[in-house]
Amino acid sequence: MASNNFITPAKAARGLGSAKSGTETHIRQRVSAIALIFLVPWFVFSIINAMGGDLASAQAWAAKPWNAILLILTAGAAFYHMRIGMQVVVEDYIAKTGTKSALLILNSFVCIALFVTVALSVLKLWIGAGA
Amino acid sequence: MVQLTLPKGSAPKKGKTWPKPQGATNLRQFKIYRYSPEEGGNPRWDVYWVDMDKAGTMILDVLFYIKNTIDPTLAFRRSCREGVCGSCAMNIAGQNTIACTKGFDELPGGVISIAPLPHQPVVKDLIPDLTNFYAQHAYVQPYLKTVTPEPEKEWKQSEEDREELNGLYECILCASCTTSCPSYWWNGDKYLGPAALLQAYRWLIDSRDEATGERLDDLEDPFKLYRCHTIMNCAQVCPKGLNPAKAIAKIKHMMVERVS
Repeated sequence: MASNNFITPAKAARGLGSAKSGTETHIRQRVSAIALIFLVPWFVFSIINAMGGDLASAQAWAAKPWNAILLILTAGAAFYHMRIGMQVVVEDYIAKTGTKSALLILNSFVCIALFVTVALSVLKLWIGAGA
Repeated sequence: MVQLTLPKGSAPKKGKTWPKPQGATNLRQFKIYRYSPEEGGNPRWDVYWVDMDKAGTMILDVLFYIKNTIDPTLAFRRSCREGVCGSCAMNIAGQNTIACTKGFDELPGGVISIAPLPHQPVVKDLIPDLTNFYAQHAYVQPYLKTVTPEPEKEWKQSEEDREELNGLYECILCASCTTSCPSYWWNGDKYLGPAALLQAYRWLIDSRDEATGERLDDLEDPFKLYRCHTIMNCAQVCPKGLNPAKAIAKIKHMMVERVS
């Protein structure tokens, strides 16, 4: 259409070629979703149960080994799944390479930081209670 | 790229309301997208009153009625007028389909809008520029690829293997599905879209084709294939009743199968 555009349709459609990747991400997104099918109901059930008690009882609950393990697993699966999901959203809606890259890096940093914060908090309660 | 507002000069404005045909008792109002690059300016919605007793039975008949009796400047593509060629795909009452098989009895009430397929450059009136769509179809190499020397007579296929192609080979490349896909609207330059991927699967699953691995290589890409988020607009609008989303899901299964 545009008179100053001499790029052939085939060149445009081929673009930079196939990245030969994406399947791993596809699998990871689904596997983390499967994990969350089990972890999220447990997490929600536990939060509802904990609502009746005070801070000390909640801390004591989180310090129990099985609860601590499941809490860390829930956070891991959720933030991992969230990172992939947010990546898809950014890739869908942001076309500018620079902005897109910056947001993808930020996404990774935020998700990792959130996971580390939750994991260390739970570990602190667990280890603190055991000492 | 996501554009929540139309680019400058693309937003349709109010156009001309054409006079009602005289002596008609069964009138229906149609709002049709008009754009002419020669005239320039924004596209416009022209309003036509159609005598439904004289227009025929399908939307394509309405367009012919308008072109023959009201406004000969209206431009649209058509060829077979029986749902085989895919030329007359357009957006009718908000849904992509082919005008020749869309009957009056399927129309909702009120004013019926007719526009070109969404999110494509417009050549004129109801004619979209499908250059990229065709180039993406060519990208998936929709033809038999083999390394075995060609048999003297023919490549044979069992009846069961042939049945695998049902629901895939019927695609008429009308582009209704691809241009109804939000993922294609935002990333149509990189995402191949439902029509091309349905064709890709049609050759991936063909028992005679020997290039399955290479075909998967060409598709394995976060954008070319994995931009499909199973929105299902493609399956909803396909005038041939096909399900490109299912075909894409099966391509993803094949991808997973070869790494695990």
